[in-house]
Amino acid sequence: MRHYEIVFLVHPDQSAQVQAMIDRYREIIKAASGTIHRLEDWGRRQLAFPINKVHKAHYVLLNVECTKETLDEIENGFRFNDAVLRYLTLSRKQAITEPSSLARKGGEPVSPKTTVESQPKIEVVDDSDKSPDQTETSSESTETASDSTEE
Amino acid sequence: MRQIKRKSYSKITTDSTSEIDYKDLEILGEYISETGKIVPSRITGASAKAQRQLATAIKRARFLALLPYCDSHRD
Repeated sequence: MRHYEIVFLVHPDQSAQVQAMIDRYREIIKAASGTIHRLEDWGRRQLAFPINKVHKAHYVLLNVECTKETLDEIENGFRFNDAVLRYLTLSRKQAITEPSSLARKGGEPVSPKTTVESQPKIEVVDDSDKSPDQTETSSESTETASDSTEE
Repeated sequence: MRQIKRKSYSKITTDSTSEIDYKDLEILGEYISETGKIVPSRITGASAKAQRQLATAIKRARFLALLPYCDSHRD
C-alpha cells in the first residue's frame, strides 16, 4: 500500500454530484481495504484561467493509502467522467492529515446544505477497521507499522 | 557602468523533512512575476534546492489552475 494525493476538479454545474462521487471513491478504497487519511472539499473556486470555457470549478483533495490497482480504478473513473475537468495524482511518502493551506482559506459555499458553514468542510476520515488506535496518532510510526504487518 | 542587481534573501528555508507545497499559494505567489513567470533564483535568492521545489510546486499549481501560466489567458 502506498500513499497518494489526489486532487480533482469538477464542473461547476455538476457540483451537486460531488458528494456522491466522494462516497463512490470512498467505497472503492474501502473495498480494497485502503484508507482515506484526509478529505477536503475546497468548494467552488475561481480558476486562474478558463478550462474548457469554464471559469470556476469545484475542487476536492484526497489523501489516500491504497494499492496501485485501486488508484488506477479511481483514475479510470475520472477519465470517463465528463464532470471531472482535471485531476492530479501524486505519490507521497507518508500520510498527511493536517488541513492544507487552501482548505483554511476556502472558496465560496456551494449548495444550500453547506451554506451554514462559512468554511469549506474539512473532515479527516480514517476508515481503517483493523486498527482503530491508528486514528489520532501521528502518522509516520503507525503507518510503517501497519505496512510491515500487511506485506 | 555595470548594473547593480538587487538581490533579496529568500525567506524560504528547506529542511529535509518539509517540502514546498503546491497548495501554498501565498508562498508560491512571491516567486512568480507579474506576468506569471517563475522568478529566477538569482533575483529571489532562493537556494538551488528551494528553487527546484518551487518550480515543481508552481507547475503543479498551474496545472490545477490555482496559478496562471501567463497574464493573457484567452477567455
